[in-house]
Amino acid sequence: MATDPKIADSPIREIQVEALVVMRIIKHSTTSFPTPATGCLVGMDIGSQLQITNSFPFPASNPENQQTNSNPADPYHQSDQVALSLAAPRAKSSATYAGEMIKYLREVNVDAQGVGWYMSCSMGNFVSQAFVENQAFYQRGQEEKTVALVFDVSRSSQGSLNLKAYRLSPSFMAAFKDSKFSTESIQKSKLRYQDIFIELPITIHNSHLLTSFLHQIPAAPPQKTALDFPASLAELHHDPNIASNPLAPNLESLDLSIDPFLEKTTDLMLESIEQHTTEQNNASYYQRSLAREQTKIKTWQEKRKNENLLRTQQKQPLLPEDEWQKLFKLPTEPSRLELMLVGRQVEQYARQVDGFNAVVSGKMFGVRGNLLPGEMA
Amino acid sequence: MAGDPKNYLHLARPLAPAPIATQSSAVTAPVTVTLHPQALFSILDHASRRPADQDRVIGTLLGTRSEDGTEVSISNCYAVPHTETAEQVEVDMDYQKRMLELHLRAAPKEVLVGWYATSGDLNTFSALIQNFYGQQGEGTWPHPAVHLTVGTKAGQDIEANTYISAPIGVTAERAADSCLFIPVPHEIKYDDASKSGLELIAGARDREDRSQFLQTDVEMLERAVEQVLEMLERVSNYVSDVLDEEREPSTALGQFLLNTLSLAPKVNPEDIEKDFNNHIQDVLLVSYLSNTIRTQIDLSNRLVTAALTMGPGDGAAATAGEGGEGKGQREGGGGGRGGRGGRGGRSGQAGRDQGRREEQ
Repeated sequence: MATDPKIADSPIREIQVEALVVMRIIKHSTTSFPTPATGCLVGMDIGSQLQITNSFPFPASNPENQQTNSNPADPYHQSDQVALSLAAPRAKSSATYAGEMIKYLREVNVDAQGVGWYMSCSMGNFVSQAFVENQAFYQRGQEEKTVALVFDVSRSSQGSLNLKAYRLSPSFMAAFKDSKFSTESIQKSKLRYQDIFIELPITIHNSHLLTSFLHQIPAAPPQKTALDFPASLAELHHDPNIASNPLAPNLESLDLSIDPFLEKTTDLMLESIEQHTTEQNNASYYQRSLAREQTKIKTWQEKRKNENLLRTQQKQPLLPEDEWQKLFKLPTEPSRLELMLVGRQVEQYARQVDGFNAVVSGKMFGVRGNLLPGEMA
Repeated sequence: MAGDPKNYLHLARPLAPAPIATQSSAVTAPVTVTLHPQALFSILDHASRRPADQDRVIGTLLGTRSEDGTEVSISNCYAVPHTETAEQVEVDMDYQKRMLELHLRAAPKEVLVGWYATSGDLNTFSALIQNFYGQQGEGTWPHPAVHLTVGTKAGQDIEANTYISAPIGVTAERAADSCLFIPVPHEIKYDDASKSGLELIAGARDREDRSQFLQTDVEMLERAVEQVLEMLERVSNYVSDVLDEEREPSTALGQFLLNTLSLAPKVNPEDIEKDFNNHIQDVLLVSYLSNTIRTQIDLSNRLVTAALTMGPGDGAAATAGEGGEGKGQREGGGGGRGGRGGRGGRSGQAGRDQGRREEQ
């Protein structure tokens, strides 16, 4: 498996996220599921560590509102809700919204430096043109030290928090600036799809107040060293002392459901494969039409040469031989960016399946060992 | 806060005689408040960022209300700058209005439901602000404005209290800054989604620097298994002690344990083997397929760029053709067309070079 480009290449080495930001992102993403949720991050960069201290969601207006006050000529006009929220981080209206929010937040002593954006996804399907454009927009802007946080809603609900931070690699940014992704430019830059993103490690940080609050959530230690035994089974079920503690260990990760995950992953894989074939077909169609144009140009050139030969014999003025440039138009090569993104997305799915595999095999062997006592795996 | 359930007395709050004869009078139904952890964290964060000279800071609460107004859920909040001296208090109202607009744009469902303060005392200033928030027009009228206080003194418990208010006053002039704060029951609800985040955040509470790396799935699984093992060990210690007659037995506990243990299914060993093998095969198959697909796409990407570095010639044509056919094996006709296109492209390029040479 190819390794990610070294983190040492980027100006930021790690991300520190406040607990508040984690909770806000979780809440926003789960309330707007299945539409992807996008928002802005604010914080501060300290040396090579980027601290994220607050966040707020971007408004993504409904298509009904859009039709009344925006015209289709606007480059940021989008047609459906999903595309709207995905385009929000780089839309002009969002930039003004974010600017105003940050101005007001500064008055209450919140860090006023925009340090990136976040979005939610489902089962890892975040690699898309919109994602790359958003992050490129942020990395091109005034502050180059920006990051994209991706929160995976469906995998987090299965037990463990799934939050990742990405930046675009410098080689990819250079290629993206020219927005030329033809075969020759890729050959020159030797860009592979593994090189597009750099993943950064994340730490969660709590404030002192929050830490004292966390210590306080479980009820105060009981007066006696041991609880009295319950008098009856019914009392056990209704005993308030054994109430569900929000910080009790989250045992959902021990759940043994495999099929839904596998089904969803294979569906998403099929989608990626379809995209891949479409792109391949486009590329081969381009090559075929290029070949056709080439042969046409050649035959035309032959004809011209023969005519000129005749004319030299008859002492007539020669016809120009490079008119073919005006007569025939060579087709433009389609961009190879989509192909690379599909490759990266497939790799993301493959990695997820591997991770899932590791966890599920452990659980399966454990369950089997329990149900078939005496047998070793 | 999640400790002893307190008892609340609901007073249908006494209302002042309305100066304006309005159609609907204020709602006087009992109110219960649900607090989201997100809002609470935000309040704590704001409290830690307050300017050095201020003892307490205030802000606005946003949330949703049930149809009849009896259940209020607080899901978001933002800070409002204010200054407080011994004689007077100033709240930046423009700020509050503008922030409310901004927030409503992002989340139209979350409306104004009240305000919060980061210290537990209630004084005349609280009353003034409460009346401001509960007024007609910009406030929460006809529903009562909820006031949340969170005690944030270092060293003391962080205690949250919620109140609604009723006007009270001896004279008409004093009515504006007097208020009867009625405590209402509140609860902090942790929904499932926040649980995973909360577990990680809580994991950081015992460490020196209060920070915690994000853990992979395998590490979380390991943690969960260890916790279950520990619980099982405690229970089995208790049972063996009871059997050795060292501890008092409890019929309720015994019954509970029996019920739990009987949940283990009694299945045929062959069936278990079969199901187990099927499941493992499914997982391994998907994993193998996805890795194959990944390799294939990687290969096709590389071939596209690599094949063109070789000059025109049979070798290049053969490789391009092979690449095309390799893809063709996966998607029949499409790949074949691609292969032909590849070869056509090669000869096209050769033709172009030739054409250029002839022109010179």
